[in-house]
Amino acid sequence: MALRNLRSRRLRSWLTIFGIVIGVFLIISLISLSEGLKESLMTQLRMLGGDLIFVMPGGELGDMMVALLGGMELSDADIRAIEKTRGVEQVVVFPYAAGVARYEGMAKMTFLAGVAWDKATPVLKEDMGYQTTEGDFPRSGRREILIGSLVSKEIFPGIRVGDEIAIKGRKLKVAGVLMSVGSKQDDSMIMLDLDDFRVVTGKKEGSQMAIVKPNPDFDVKDVVKNIETALEETGKRRMGQDAPAFSVITGETWSGLVENIMGIIQVVIIAFASIALIVGGIGIMNTMYTSVRERTREIGIMKAVGAKNSAVLTIFLIESGIIGVIGGLGGTLLGIILAKSVEMYGQAHPMFYISASVTPGLIIFGLVFSLFVGCLSGFFPAKRAAKLRPVEALRHYE
Amino acid sequence: MTGPIIKLENIWKIYQLGKVELTALRGVDLEIAPGGFVSIMGPSGSGKSTLLNMIGALDFPTSGKVYLKGEDISLLSEDKLSLLRGKTTGFVFQEFNILPNLTAIENVMLPMIFQGDLPEERRRKARELLISVGLKDRISHQPAELSAGERQRVAIARAFANDPEMVIADEPTGNLDSLTGKKIMEILTDFHQKQGKTIVVVTHDPNIAHYSEKIINIRDGQIITNHQQAAKVLWSK
Repeated sequence: MALRNLRSRRLRSWLTIFGIVIGVFLIISLISLSEGLKESLMTQLRMLGGDLIFVMPGGELGDMMVALLGGMELSDADIRAIEKTRGVEQVVVFPYAAGVARYEGMAKMTFLAGVAWDKATPVLKEDMGYQTTEGDFPRSGRREILIGSLVSKEIFPGIRVGDEIAIKGRKLKVAGVLMSVGSKQDDSMIMLDLDDFRVVTGKKEGSQMAIVKPNPDFDVKDVVKNIETALEETGKRRMGQDAPAFSVITGETWSGLVENIMGIIQVVIIAFASIALIVGGIGIMNTMYTSVRERTREIGIMKAVGAKNSAVLTIFLIESGIIGVIGGLGGTLLGIILAKSVEMYGQAHPMFYISASVTPGLIIFGLVFSLFVGCLSGFFPAKRAAKLRPVEALRHYE
Repeated sequence: MTGPIIKLENIWKIYQLGKVELTALRGVDLEIAPGGFVSIMGPSGSGKSTLLNMIGALDFPTSGKVYLKGEDISLLSEDKLSLLRGKTTGFVFQEFNILPNLTAIENVMLPMIFQGDLPEERRRKARELLISVGLKDRISHQPAELSAGERQRVAIARAFANDPEMVIADEPTGNLDSLTGKKIMEILTDFHQKQGKTIVVVTHDPNIAHYSEKIINIRDGQIITNHQQAAKVLWSK
């Protein structure tokens, strides 16, 4: 019966449902996207390795971007200082630059990274979880390269292990293809032997980043402190700087930071989306009040033929509940479609990699929540309908 | 069943219309015994409809007691009253008052839903009732597809849905032409004669009142006991 009533006021019902659709749609799409963003960031962080320490130029995290963009680097002296620090087992430098690579007549701008294979391979494999899908890690001094998964798919489609890429006239053989690490930028990278990198890019020394593997016998936090002190002293000796111009970061720092930022973003997103849903709820309430007024006579008839208050209440609650649930279904569906299309867009275009995390829990949450909103906003109109006295309702003329 | 279905004791009903008080009933005493066919007559504004609301236990009096099957309705909860009313009394209104969104058969099934009958039982009884009021071909029609007389017949079928002891009809023929009205009254009389139902009809049409066994005249909120005098007053109109 509730369904029939809704259908007889089709346009109004749909408009009301639409209000809920928008609210739920916003919540579902925004939550799934931000959750997905968080997940892909966390996956990348996990790839970086939990115990590894990253040393980057720049003081506060805020300046770090500036520092990277401004071309600040760790000098060889800094790196040597880190190597000598107590508790440091291995230092892997990771300089990178953009360069033109040629393959079968195609010339493309790509990210090039320099890696000292003999030192770095164990760290990459064991601590950062890098794996090859084809071939193997290169060895030093052989002019071999390792390419990211997207290089073989998009940049130079069809390139295989054993093929040759030319960078600045130097021919380099593909030794392996990396498994995707979940980041557009990293997956598009060509990793060269450090010596080759120095030659083709002309960067004789330094690195934007150093990855430190601490000795397992030492506490990571102590090692971090030691590195900081060592870098400060080197800096003072060289240029008389006193402020630390480096960030020494562990995987944990990163995860904590990302989690914090994403938490704040999600709260804000949910708050805004909730406003839309509240507006939708008010829409339901409005529709139901109008409906109660219009149907005062009907309510009177139902009561005259023996309907209990609870029966009238139930009919109206079901009506608003249905509006809520249909709105929730529509909103959830649209939300998932949007989230998934953003994800697909992200896979097709670089620099925009987001996976949408649509969990069953989120879908159930969307539906239950909209049912709740529907019932809640239908409750007061329904209560009013139930309380009408049969005579008064019957005497009512429109 | 020996006691009266409904008993009114010294009923007063005063409506508060803004600052003006309107006294609709002034100390009415009335009993409706089972199995009767009673007409309530009176000019408009005489308190007929108010009296009907009292008999149907649709409204509470300002003072006085209403006993529905021996139970004081002022002591019943609203839900209990609804249930009792649904079981003992069926209503037929002047404006038919059938729900526009439901088909004929669904309208007839409605009171049975509230009494908690089983779905197959509801459908079977509703079909029988619709056939008995001559709407065999209109069972699944929407009210909009029915004529006024047919709608009123649906309303009558609905009034008898819960097998009530008493059916109250408020100007059941008021919106119908005289021929259709006659048919409607015949249907009501039929229920009265064949099934022994108590029928209470409110009307100002003496022709309709002729169907009944007892006529109660009401004027200015009081029942006129002098039947002769009342008849004169009415017939002279």
